[in-house]
Formats: sequence, C-alpha cells, structure tokens
Amino acid sequence: MTDYNLMSDDDFRRDVRQFFEAEYPEELRNISHRPKFAEVEDWHKVLHAKGWVAPAWPSEFGGMGLGAAKLLIFYEEQQRWGVTRGRDMGVLMVGPLIIKFGTDTQKEYWLPRILSCETIWCQGYSEPGAGSDLASLRTTAIVDGDDFVINGQKIWTTMAHDADHIFMLVRTDPDAPKKQQGISFVLAKMDQPGIEVRTIVTLSGEEEFCEVFFDNARAPVANLVGEMNNGWSMAKALLSFERIFIGSPNMAQNALMQLKTLADGRGAFNDPAFRDRYAEVALDVEDHAALYTRFADQMKRGETLGSDVSMLKIWVSETFQKITELMIEVAGPDGGALGPLQLGNVGIDVLSNFYKSRPTTIYGGSNEIQRNILSKAVLNLPG
Amino acid sequence: MTDMGETAQSDEDLQMLRDSVRTLLERAGGLDRARGARGAAEGWNAGVMQELAEAGVLGVSASETAGGLGMGLPAAGVIAEEVGRVVAPEPVVATVGLVVSLLEQLCPDDALLSQVISGEKSVALAWQERNSAGLSDTINCRFDGTGVTGAKAWVVGFASADVLLVLAESDAGKVLLRLDAKATGVNPQPQRQSDGNALHEITFTGAPASVLAEGGDVSGAMALAAADATALAASELLGVSNTALALTLEYIRTREQFGKPIGSFQVIQHRAVNMQIAQEIAEAGVREALGLMGAETSLDARERLASRAKARACTAANLITREAIRLHGAVGFTDEYDVGLFLNRALVLSAWLGDAAAHRRRWLDATLSSEAAQ
Repeated sequence: MTDYNLMSDDDFRRDVRQFFEAEYPEELRNISHRPKFAEVEDWHKVLHAKGWVAPAWPSEFGGMGLGAAKLLIFYEEQQRWGVTRGRDMGVLMVGPLIIKFGTDTQKEYWLPRILSCETIWCQGYSEPGAGSDLASLRTTAIVDGDDFVINGQKIWTTMAHDADHIFMLVRTDPDAPKKQQGISFVLAKMDQPGIEVRTIVTLSGEEEFCEVFFDNARAPVANLVGEMNNGWSMAKALLSFERIFIGSPNMAQNALMQLKTLADGRGAFNDPAFRDRYAEVALDVEDHAALYTRFADQMKRGETLGSDVSMLKIWVSETFQKITELMIEVAGPDGGALGPLQLGNVGIDVLSNFYKSRPTTIYGGSNEIQRNILSKAVLNLPG
Repeated sequence: MTDMGETAQSDEDLQMLRDSVRTLLERAGGLDRARGARGAAEGWNAGVMQELAEAGVLGVSASETAGGLGMGLPAAGVIAEEVGRVVAPEPVVATVGLVVSLLEQLCPDDALLSQVISGEKSVALAWQERNSAGLSDTINCRFDGTGVTGAKAWVVGFASADVLLVLAESDAGKVLLRLDAKATGVNPQPQRQSDGNALHEITFTGAPASVLAEGGDVSGAMALAAADATALAASELLGVSNTALALTLEYIRTREQFGKPIGSFQVIQHRAVNMQIAQEIAEAGVREALGLMGAETSLDARERLASRAKARACTAANLITREAIRLHGAVGFTDEYDVGLFLNRALVLSAWLGDAAAHRRRWLDATLSSEAAQ
C-alpha cells in the first residue's frame, strides 16, 4: 500500500496529473451536468483498480489515506483536468460517517460496497419545510420491531433517480426539547414499495434534483449509524472539509476563462465599459484565490479551520454569478440562446454557465445563512 | 527594495516588526495624533519621524550597505499597514517607496541616502505635473545646467522637508535634481487635503539645483519607485480600513435602539459581514501581490502587481470607510467621531498614485498584453 503522504507535494501532484491526463476519458472532460452512473461506470472501474476512489478515507478502509495537503492537491488536479466528481456522495458523505461513527459490522459491510459502487447513494437532508432551517425536518422514523418505519418527504435530493440507497436525517424523537435533538442518521434501500421518486426539472432543463416520498418505507434498525438521536451533530462534524472545498476558486476561474474567450471572439475588449467590469471580476477572482491559499495553507499545517472559511464560498459564488452575467451581456442578441455560441472552432455555452451559477448562492448553506453565521461566530455581533 | 529577488522574511520576523512599529506609534499618541495634526503647518511630528528612522523603518527595504534593514517590500508593507491603522501623519510611504527607492537605484553612494534612512535629512520628491486634464504624462520642468524652471504638483511631505528631489528634462534627457527646499525660486503652494494634511504645488523659477543622476536610468528608476510606492499605499489603506472596520463593529455591538444593540439586526449584520469579507480579501490579495513583487525582477510585472494591490485596497477601503460612516448613523457624520478620520484618509490615499478605476485599467492593459506576448 503506497503511503502517498511520504511523497513530496510536487511529486504527488505530478503523479496525479499524469494519471488523469493519461486515463481520464476525453469525452467526459468538463461536462457541465451530473452524470448518471452508467455514463461514468468505465471511469469508475479505472479509479477503483488504481485504489483512488476515496482520497480522504484511511488506507485501512481502502482509501488513499491522504492528509489535508495531498487531498487539496488531488482535488485541485481533478478540477484542473475537468474530471467529473462522478457519483461521489457515498464516498464523500456516507463513508466518512460510517468510518467515524459506525460499528465494525457496518464498516465491513458498507465500505467495500461504497468503493465498488455496488451501492450508489443519494443524500436525503432537505425537506419542503426544512431548507436553510434544516433542523426543522419532519420526516419520521419510528422503530417497529427490527425496522424503522419511515414517513415523510425529502426534496432537492440530487440524483435520487439514479441511486439505489439513500442516507438520510430523520426525526426519531418528535418530543425532544430542542429541534436539533431527536434527529438520527439512517441508511435505506431505494428500491422498495414505500418509496417513490419524482424528478424535478430545473431551470436549465436538467433532471438532477428529485423529490423522494416515504410512505411506510422500511429500513433495518441495524442501518442506524451512530447513536440514536445524535444525527445532527454527526452531520455537522462532516462539514469542515466541505467548507473549504465549496469555496475553491475553480468554478469562477473556469467561467472567467470562458468569458475571456467569448469577449475576444466578440470584440468586447474594445469597449472601455466592458474592460473595466472584466478587470473588476478578474481581480475578484485573483484576490479570492489569494485568500483561498491562506486557508489552504492553514489546513496543510494541520490547523482546524474556523467558521471564517465560509467567506470563500460567499465571495466565489457571487463572483461566479457576476461573470456569467457579463457573459450574457457580451453575447448581446444571443443572450437568450441555448447551446454553445460558436467562436471560430470553440463553443462557449453562455446559458449553461449562467444556470450553473444560480444555485451556488443557495446550496451548501445559502449565502444569507453563511452571513448570519459569520456575524455571530466571527464578528461576535449580538444575537 | 531595489535589491530585487530579495530573501523573503519569515512570518515571525514580520510579526516582530509589526509589533514594534505598532508599539512605537501607540506610544507616540496613536490615533489622537491624526486629529491633532490636522491643519498644522508642519503637518507631522519631526520627533516621531526621527523615532521611526531610529527603529529602522525608513530603511526597512533598503540594502544593509546603505544603512537599511534589507527586509524587502513585504516588510515595508507591514510598516505601512501599521501607519494606516492609526492614520499616522508622517510621510512614511512616500519616503520609503519614492525617495529611498529612487536614491538607492540612482545614486546609492550619495550621502543623502543614508541621511534619509537615519532621519538626519527629511526629503520630499517633486515628480508629477499637472495639465488641464489632471495628471500630465510628460515632464515639462526644465533644467538648464544650473537652475530648474516649471511646476510640480501633488508633492508629499514638503512642509518639513530639508531637501527636495525634482524630476526634470535637460539636454541629457531626464535628470534627478537636488534642491534646498528653502532655496530662492522654490515657490510652494499648499493644497489642503481631506485628511488635514497638505500636498504641495511648487513653481520653480530658475531655482538652483544640482544633478544627482541623469540619462537613461532615470525614467526606469522612477517607474520602479512609483510601483513600490503604489503597492505601499495599498498596504497603508489596509491599515486604514482595518481600524475603521474594528471601530464600526465595536459601535454596532454597543449602540442600542429599540431596546437592542443595532448589531443584532440582520440587515446591519450582513452589511458588517460584507465589510469583513472585503477586508480579508484585500489583506490576502495585497499581501500576496507585495510578496510576488519582492521576487519579481521585471518592471512590467512589478507595475502590474502594484496595480492589482492598489485597485483592491482602494476598493475595499472606500467601501469599508463609507459603510463605517453609514453604520454609525448621524454621529458618523460628525467631526467629533474618530471614524471620519479614516474616511478622510482613505480619500487621500485612494486618489494618490491612482485610484481603483485607474489601476484596474492599468492592470488589465498589462495583463492582456503580457498574455498576447506569450
């Protein structure tokens, strides 16, 4: 088993880069949609054979066992080459929780199946009445013999129509004094009579999100991960890496390059008003990257990141939106056109970028919720 | 600073430097001096300038052979931040960025360099000229071999200067001249600024001058010094906005309306968070730019990084100081409250050496042409 952490950062980066460049299928580079598993199955097999499906997991469970520095490098190279995250919910969300809080039996059973994609996962957190205020969730799981009986509804469940398992936060104690208490973390099979999935067509015409309805669905009590009624704090414990990952400069950098190509092709750099606004967003991206580096360095030194890291996500998502809005302006009369605008032999899909930027200020804790958190945790403003 | 490719200082060294300058400026009177200095003829306190010199501040980025500390541009940036934090009126950035940088590049063996660094002589640089559109991009001051004739504008630190450096044209091309600041033929006119200091417009009528440097090097050295000073002005702005933000946060935590601190209202909280993010992005961006400048040998690249720093610092400081006034409510618009000192200093530092829009323009021109060249 290779201990990647013994390699120098530069050597590791080179190896990762070479692997992606040699092995990643060209037709999957920079795809803008979330793929169904069938689309990425071959690529997943290559990753699995290499042992690179789970960069963050400890090697004893089949992961790469990367420390923070190497992990960031891995993701940076993945983004640089436009490698899809594929169907990584199991690896990113379920696996770490089972590793941290699961029993030995759960680890032995689930972890290999997550790595091999024998199980494909979706995340059942949000509900119609529990979005930003997630702790208000109302889907219940009541113990009945060896099973939970689950009733309620989840929404914005990404790729639920292409998943065979769901990990979910459910209310197991409706009488708990605080809403954050009484929530548990449960795994369930999707293919059963009590579960119905309906896809939600998004503004961009894609079907990534779903509603999932539970009508006396069942899951074994053995599928409870961690302690009963302790799911909320477990789910929160997972967020520390997510919070810097979601604030990475990549999406905005990528959109900026496309804006540049579009503006070159359309002669927009002859317009002083456009030049000023382009410079503004370009510098917004550059200086954000400087702040990202500061946080990443902190993480590489093994320090725990504070709540202030969510500044990255606020800034980069709002900058991403400004960039895509500029793309629409540059497109002029083609600003409403679907599909790529042809500029010589390059195609720039203006609206796909625009649509992709819209949810970024909503997901992962909306920017308004992030500002609430920052004002209390970082600025110490009164509640 | 002219020692390009200098060794980077460790974070610990920079922190020690920061602490010592902070202590010195606090002991000298901190923010109270900014208020006291307003409108005073001298503009600043010669004793404090001398203390700063003795602490090595004026030679922080100059080479050790010239009597400097050889710590490079990021260290000078740390000092500029501390100057900004208390709106200290001394012309530290103009001295370090313009005067010391120019002298070290053009006449490192002249005694004047070590005299500036040690605080023995106070030196101002008269460089830019005015035309009907504002800043002239040509130099019309003329040196005839013995005296200089013409007009300069936006001179920092003239009121207390012993020596004046003047950039002029001569038969040999660009020259850097040395004048006695009190010489006949030097006719200064103070232009009062929003922060209470004065920039001087100076008319020269055959004022006696001697040549410090002439020829092809002068223009390049001036451009490099201007880039350094621009980057350091950005650092000073970081300090200005840092304190304006801290004062504002303190105010909204304690000021009560409707029976609650106003900082408990979400609309105020979100505006405060935006100020905080602007400050953090600016600190990261400006410090990174100064670090990259320290390792960069090409003038074009240094100018581009200086523009990046100044564009960001002006944007952040203007947002933060204006929001600071806004969140203080009516008292923010009074002379009595300190927060106004920061708005007024930010206005001056923003206008000096190019504001955000000007530097975005320069940064983009340079970026696009360097990309096209590749």
